[in-house]
Amino acid sequence: MTETTILALYGLLVVITIVLQASGAMTQLGMGYLLSSRDEGRTVTGMSGRLDRALTNSVTAMALFAPAILLLIATNSTTAQTLLLAKAFLIGRVIYLPAYVFGLIGIRTASWSLGFIATAILYFLAL
Amino acid sequence: MTTELTVLALAALLQMVQYVLMSVPANLELGPAKTLGPRDPQRLGGDIRSLVSPRTGRLIRALDNHFEALILFTIAVVVVTLTGQSTPFTSTCAWIYIMARVLYIPAYAFGLTPWRSLIWLVGLSATLAMLLAALL
Repeated sequence: MTETTILALYGLLVVITIVLQASGAMTQLGMGYLLSSRDEGRTVTGMSGRLDRALTNSVTAMALFAPAILLLIATNSTTAQTLLLAKAFLIGRVIYLPAYVFGLIGIRTASWSLGFIATAILYFLAL
Repeated sequence: MTTELTVLALAALLQMVQYVLMSVPANLELGPAKTLGPRDPQRLGGDIRSLVSPRTGRLIRALDNHFEALILFTIAVVVVTLTGQSTPFTSTCAWIYIMARVLYIPAYAFGLTPWRSLIWLVGLSATLAMLLAALL
């Protein structure tokens, strides 16, 4: 497994999050509203609200993680260490989603931190 | 440069076009005093997004939606390109993606139900197909 594979797997995780978030919104707001232009700006609550916020957070994480991997590959500086950090990022983000949805206090923050710190170190290693 | 990278550059340009499509009507409707200010909801009497016309609101949401789609598409393009797995299939997917995202804007602005949702699904599916093609 390489850093690129991890990036692709994380892309898949975000696709799955989008599908889950859309199905949650469908049950709460109804298909009619989702297909409309959403001019009223209805919002989801409870578990669907959490999925909504988890998705926003995952997109932010993706926007930070992808350039770090690109930098490492473009500068040929991938090492066993960077692969391990990329894996740590993916594991953190895989845990983050259910931790948010099921409201696991502490675990969500810890898994987010794992992903965030791993990304930060990747940038340091790229420099 | 692979076809996928060309389409990626076009998708980034599309994002800039979407900024213009959103910010020009928003500035005309709200005036520079509001848009150039710090946009505090307390001072404006609500979130700045809720103060624009319905059509401009749709263009704002269309821009936001393309952020999500574009980040995923970027990953798909980069993974396909870096691993040297660009095929006619993946470049077709890239073209489908950009066409869907162009059509998404009028579909949202004119409230074409359910076409906006179907067009969104086409774009997401094209990205998913590229990711899967790179992994499998």
